[in-house]
Amino acid sequence: MKTDTYPLRVLVTVLGLDQHEAGSLAVARLLRDAGTEVVYAGRFQLPETIATIAIQEDVDVVGVSAHSWEFLHYAEELATLLKAADPPIPVVVGGSVVTPADRDEILAKGIDEAVMPTVTEDEIIATFKRLAAGHREAS
Amino acid sequence: MFYGPDAVDIDYEAKLGDPGVYPYTRGTRAPKSRPAGEGHDIIVRELSGEGPPERSNEQFHYLLEHGATGLDVIGDTPTQCFMDPDHPYSKHAIGNQGVSVCRRADFIALYEGIPLDKVSCDHSLPGGFAAAGLFLAAEAHGHGGEVLRGSAILPPLFAEDTAYSSNLPIELHLRLATDSIEFCADHMPKFHPFIEDTYYISDGSVDIVDEMALGFVELREVVRRLIARGVDVDRFAPRIALLVNCRMDFFAEIAKIRASRRMYARMMRDEFGAKDPRSLAINVAAHTSGATMTSRQIANNITRGAVQALALTLAGVRAMEISAFDEAIRTPSKEAHLIGLSTQHVVRLETGAADVADPLGGSWYVEKLTDEMEEKIQARIDFIEGLGDVVELAQQGFFRAIFAEAMVERAREVSEGRKPVVGVNVNEIPLEKDQLLRDIAEERIEPFYERIDQIKAWRAARDHAGVVASLDALEVVCREDRNIMPALVGALRADASMGECIGVLRECYGKPYDPLKCVERPR
Repeated sequence: MKTDTYPLRVLVTVLGLDQHEAGSLAVARLLRDAGTEVVYAGRFQLPETIATIAIQEDVDVVGVSAHSWEFLHYAEELATLLKAADPPIPVVVGGSVVTPADRDEILAKGIDEAVMPTVTEDEIIATFKRLAAGHREAS
Repeated sequence: MFYGPDAVDIDYEAKLGDPGVYPYTRGTRAPKSRPAGEGHDIIVRELSGEGPPERSNEQFHYLLEHGATGLDVIGDTPTQCFMDPDHPYSKHAIGNQGVSVCRRADFIALYEGIPLDKVSCDHSLPGGFAAAGLFLAAEAHGHGGEVLRGSAILPPLFAEDTAYSSNLPIELHLRLATDSIEFCADHMPKFHPFIEDTYYISDGSVDIVDEMALGFVELREVVRRLIARGVDVDRFAPRIALLVNCRMDFFAEIAKIRASRRMYARMMRDEFGAKDPRSLAINVAAHTSGATMTSRQIANNITRGAVQALALTLAGVRAMEISAFDEAIRTPSKEAHLIGLSTQHVVRLETGAADVADPLGGSWYVEKLTDEMEEKIQARIDFIEGLGDVVELAQQGFFRAIFAEAMVERAREVSEGRKPVVGVNVNEIPLEKDQLLRDIAEERIEPFYERIDQIKAWRAARDHAGVVASLDALEVVCREDRNIMPALVGALRADASMGECIGVLRECYGKPYDPLKCVERPR
C-alpha cells in the first residue's frame, strides 16, 4: 500500500493530433511546482498508448490536455482502458475548448473529471490531488 | 499620465519618413487619393476551411459574396501535420477544425470557381505544399503561376514547439521554406511564399516583445540561409511579408507594427545589403488574437474584434482577419464569419480611420512607444542570437521553454487579476445566465469520416508505378541538395499524396517515413 510519504505521480499528455501543447506544458509545470512527480508523454498519443504508459509508470492520475475536439471521440475508449487497470487510474480532461455540455458528455462516458477554461491554478492542483487520493486509497 | 514634446526625439527622415518612403515606419505605400469613406485597399478576409475541399469551397464563395476580398484557408489538424486523412491517427480530426487536403485533386476542388487571377489566397497550410497546391490548382483552372497572389505561412524554426508540430527535423522545415521561396521567385512572382507568422509564435503565450523578437530571429535565419545559398537578396526579399498578432493593448500593437516596418527596412538595407526599395518595405498583415477571445460573455468578443480592427487599420496593415467571436470554443461559424467581415467593413468604411495613412504618426505617445518597442525587440534579438546558433537553440528546447513559461505567466496574469478581462475576472456573471450566442459557439462539427474511405479508394485506383517513380524522383532531388519544389509539384501531379511526399523527405533527413509507425512508403 502506498503512503502519503511518496509524492503524487501524474501523467500529462495530449490526445490524437491535437497540436496545442502549451497548455499541457503549463499544467505539467504547475503540478511539478506543487511537488508532484510528472511523467510527461507529450503529443501524438492514442488511448491505448496513454493507458500503457500510465500503468507502466504507476501514476496516480492521468491528465489530458484538450484544445481540439478529438477528446470527445476518444473519451470512452480512454476511460474504459484506464478503468481496467488495477486499481483503476482516474483521468481528468481539461482545456480551452471544453464546454459544460462536453463535460457532461465525457463524464457520462467514464472520464472522472473535466475542467473548463478560466479554472484557477489552485483548482487544477486540487482536482489532481483529489483524484490521486482516491486512487491511493484503492491501492 | 501624458506625453509631451520632450518625451520623444523625432528625426522625421531618419526614423519616420512619409508613407511609402524609407524606413517605412508610416507604411509601405504612398497613399492614393480617393474619396473619404472608400477606405484604403486593405484585403478583407476571414480564416476559413472546414470539412472536405468542396465544403470549404462553398465557404469561400459565401465569404466572397459577403464582402471578402481575399481568402485565408487553414488545414485541419491532420493536414497541418502533413498527415493524410486515412492515417489511423487522423480519424477523429478530419475536417472539423479546418479543411482536409492531401492531394492535387483537393486543391483543384478547393479553388473551383474562384477567380485566382484576382483573389489573393493566403494559406495556413504546410510550408511548400501550399504553394505547390495552389500552383497545380491554378494550372487546372487555366491560370499560370505568374497571376497568383496571396501567401503561405512557413514556421520553420518554432513549428515543432508550437501548434504546428509535424515530426519534422528543423532542417527539413527550413529546406521547405527556402526552397519554396526560391521556387516562387521564378514561378509565382506575385505570391508571398514566406510569411513570417508571429501570430502562431505568440498567441496564448509570449508577450508583444518576444512575439516580434522570435519572429525576427526566425526570419533572419531564413534570409541568411538564402543568401548563403547564393540567392540574390533582391530576388526574394520583395515577397517576404509579416503576419502579426493583435491583442488588446491598443497603442502597443500599433507601435509594434510601426517599429517592425522600420526595423525590417534597416535590417535588410544595412545588414543584408538589399538595394531594391521593395526589399526594404515589408507588408504587414494581421490576425486578431484568438487568445483574447473568451469563452465567457461571448458577445464581448465582437467588441474586442472591432477594437483590434481599428488598431490594425490605424497601423496601416495590408490585410487582416478578425478572430471569430466563437474562436475560444470552435472553428468559425457562418454567423461569426459574417460578423468578422462586417466588423472590418464598419471600421474601414464608416469611421474614416482608413482614409488617411498613419493618422497617429507624430503623436508623442505613439512615437515614444514605437521607439521603445524597437529598442526592446532589438535587445531581445541580440540576446538570443548572442547565445549561439538559433537552430541549435531550437533543437535544445530553448524556445520551447520560453513558450511554456510564457503560457503559465499569461494564465497567472488573468487568474491573479493583474490583467483585467471583462467577463472573466471583471464583471462576471454566473454561467447559467451567460447564454448570449452560446448556442452558436458550442455547436460542434463532426469529423468528416467519409473522407477516409474516399482517400483509400483513390489511393487504390492510382497509377501505382507513376506514384512510386515520382516519389523516387523527389528523393533523388532532395538527397542531391537541389530545390525540391519542382519534384514536389511533379509528385503531386502524379497523384502522390502530401503524406507520402513528406514521408520520403523525412527519410532523406534520417527520420522514419511515418514516425507514428502506422503507414509504409509505396514501393
